[in-house]
Amino acid sequence: MRPRTWWLAAIAPGALAIAMWISSPPPSRANGEKDHVDKGGHAHVPAPLDYADAHMPISGWTDPVMIARGKEIYVTKCAVCHGDSGDGKGPAGAALPLKPPDLRDKAGVAEMRDNYWLWRVSEGGQPEPFKSKGSAMPPWKADLSVEDRWAVIAYQHTFSGHQGPHVPWEHPEMVQVGRDIFAMACIQCHGVEGRGDGSVGATLSPRRAPQPRDLTSGQFKFRSTPSGQLPTTADLFRTVTEGVRSSGGPLTFGLSGHRIMPSFRHMPVAQRLEALEFVKSFYRGFWERAPAEAIVIPPAPPVTAERLARGKQLYADAECLACHGATGRGDGPSAPTLKDSTELPIAATDLTQPKRFKSGARPEDVYRTLRTGLAGTPMPSYADSLEPDQTWDLVYYVLSLSQEGIAREQPRGGGR
Amino acid sequence: MSRRLLVIVVAFAAAIAGFAGAKSVEAVPAFARQYDVQCNVCHTRPPRLNSFGEQFHLMGFQMPSAARPEGLVGSVKEDGWIKTLIDSLAVRVVGGIFEYSESPGESERKFAPPDEIELFITRAVTPDLSLYVELEYEPKGVSFSPSRGYFTEQKFGLGKEAFFMANLGQLLGRLGAPTMEMGGMTMVGRHGGFNMHGPMLMAGKIDPSTNFSYATNRQLILETEIEIEKEPGAPGEVHRLPVVPYALTSKFFGLFKNRDEGEPLLVTDRVMYNTPGAPGADFHAMFQNNLLLGQVGFLRENEGFNMYGVGRLDLGERRGFTFNVSALVNWGFGVAFAPELDPAEPGEVHPSGRRLDRLRAGLAANVRWKGLDVYGTFIWDRVFGLPGDLRGLFDRDAAGLTLEIDYLVHEKVMVSTRFDQLWAGGLTDRKLDGTVFSAQVKFYPWQNIAFFVRDSVNLRTVHEDNPLRSWRNQLFIGIDWDF
Repeated sequence: MRPRTWWLAAIAPGALAIAMWISSPPPSRANGEKDHVDKGGHAHVPAPLDYADAHMPISGWTDPVMIARGKEIYVTKCAVCHGDSGDGKGPAGAALPLKPPDLRDKAGVAEMRDNYWLWRVSEGGQPEPFKSKGSAMPPWKADLSVEDRWAVIAYQHTFSGHQGPHVPWEHPEMVQVGRDIFAMACIQCHGVEGRGDGSVGATLSPRRAPQPRDLTSGQFKFRSTPSGQLPTTADLFRTVTEGVRSSGGPLTFGLSGHRIMPSFRHMPVAQRLEALEFVKSFYRGFWERAPAEAIVIPPAPPVTAERLARGKQLYADAECLACHGATGRGDGPSAPTLKDSTELPIAATDLTQPKRFKSGARPEDVYRTLRTGLAGTPMPSYADSLEPDQTWDLVYYVLSLSQEGIAREQPRGGGR
Repeated sequence: MSRRLLVIVVAFAAAIAGFAGAKSVEAVPAFARQYDVQCNVCHTRPPRLNSFGEQFHLMGFQMPSAARPEGLVGSVKEDGWIKTLIDSLAVRVVGGIFEYSESPGESERKFAPPDEIELFITRAVTPDLSLYVELEYEPKGVSFSPSRGYFTEQKFGLGKEAFFMANLGQLLGRLGAPTMEMGGMTMVGRHGGFNMHGPMLMAGKIDPSTNFSYATNRQLILETEIEIEKEPGAPGEVHRLPVVPYALTSKFFGLFKNRDEGEPLLVTDRVMYNTPGAPGADFHAMFQNNLLLGQVGFLRENEGFNMYGVGRLDLGERRGFTFNVSALVNWGFGVAFAPELDPAEPGEVHPSGRRLDRLRAGLAANVRWKGLDVYGTFIWDRVFGLPGDLRGLFDRDAAGLTLEIDYLVHEKVMVSTRFDQLWAGGLTDRKLDGTVFSAQVKFYPWQNIAFFVRDSVNLRTVHEDNPLRSWRNQLFIGIDWDF
């Protein structure tokens, strides 16, 4: 063949691919939606962030008292549609546009998560995609307490024949989608078992922090929860969305953000949530803790000269300058000796470079960091030693250390 | 010797001086800019890819499971035309000072300012379609013509690679395969069951070796320059062949690339899985969450073409350890011309009209553990279709072994060593085996700028008349700069 023929041979498949793209093929079936069609149109989608932290107390799944309470409620409120045996053939169910699911379907039930069930029982068929599918499920959050809703869920779980708690380590199907995403995007750093021991971490910042998070340790830096507590799912979502910026070590010449963990902001929200359900499954504490509560960030007060002066004094009194240095460049006298919880040297953040703040550089981000600390690092929580208003003083002073500083951020409201 | 030391000291002093003033600078290489990530997220140290970088490449230069939904359009909407354009471009400059010696007392030194400049234009156009184009300028590229023999000239044009990569998962979906969305990209299969990412089609001017356990287009130890010698009035000849990964060279003495022009196929010419970029199409797919990778394709080579298949198994990603092994089988159809002995001039050969086929098979493996990266490949070649009169005069088997060890001594210092062994084939009266050991220290004051010192030693006896072994030592002090 002549060279031109070769080029044509090489380019022809590309032309085919481009033609396919231009012809706008129908959207792909999402996450096995084909299966959902077989199951009467019931979509298995992740619970939204408002419900993502809700997990049934593990003992509840097998607690006879709770199951009995659940049965009582089920018989009076649910059986009319879902059927006495959970087969979805209750007398009122036949007339519904979207038939109730068969709760005896062992495989289908295994894929469900407790927070999904709580969301569905609480909100009924009002949220999407259920509303569009014609779900007539009523919301029960106004009629049933959280405990009662968990009781119903524990009872209806018995229809499928599952024994024991409905948790990911018993039913890996619950987090299968997240597992696949994790395998494609995360294991290179976090490792197959989530221990932060993938092959990339060691060359990313050799023999120093930060290393990829050990997701089995229960220790998470970026939280909105008080010191010593696990993060909310929303915190994990924020980290996955924003990525993590670097401090210390050689930089990429000219790069401004310096992320060492990429931002996955283009990953669809539902898939980020699926991935996080898998991430949470590495640490059982997420199922065993009391309901997670984020700290309250009060509205941001206006910046004044007095506030900055007080912040400067607090910066000295709270010994921030020991690590971050008098000018905030991360060159304080203690900086060379800093180590993280794994005994790796760790750099004090250069406060004159807000773009490199790991947990965000908005005033509310800095407020949150000061109140919660960064677990596993020398950065402590100041929740016990500073009043909220004092914390704002310090926030503004920290931001004033950079050129962009307050001028860029103010005036803004605070709160979450 | 003292001048050499002076050069080294000056180069490193410049690097350290530059590092001291680095913090305030802003501007970047293409993918790092597009995704706002440090180079080290994808590179052990540039240009060597780590396993995340390999995944990024396999998925068509998309962040795994997080492709921008609107691709180029989304980028323009979000960032504007100018930033989108700038973020799609990158420049690589490699140059330095080169010295080689034929014997301890005889050496030659030259300045290479720079050896090559490459401009990259690369961007994900849609979640399932990406573009990668490399333009290259070589101030002293080597060319061949029947009248002038080998000569150097300025070269500018398409570089090693210029291709697009398309995910054909949607196509399979339209044909009835179950599909699922993974971060905007279509995958085939179902969660919890069989799954496949791709097949990805890479077509244009391609080098498919990135998917091999020994990726030749990601060399930390760059190849040295070929040296041309020209006597007045005579055609230029090759005086010294470059040091390249011998396992993936043509390996045969006495073959020709074409008949009409009579251009020799040099024993160190890069062929299949180490191409200088050739028109072709490559399909690869990852199975079971990247446990397995399959690759098939075809490529033009000289006046013939190649068909190849590769399988790769990946394990590990725990305790800082990861391992992969690849197997390659390649059949080259008419990829070289057999020599014809000239009865009038003993020792002279010309291209005959006989096209030769080549069977190539090989294994490669890569082990990474913390800062250590060990990879190597053994490749065996056999040519078919030799004329009967070459029996006994031509060895139709050849093999090569290349083994490299990189160690990240410090986050700014990468030490690399490479061993290359060539068991050459071809005309028995001129073939010689080669054994070379190379060592390199690369200093990265920034992640995308490196200063390096590399030395290659010919471990065999010097043969002045054979360009494979006409040298004793080659030293290079240079800079490798990516913007």
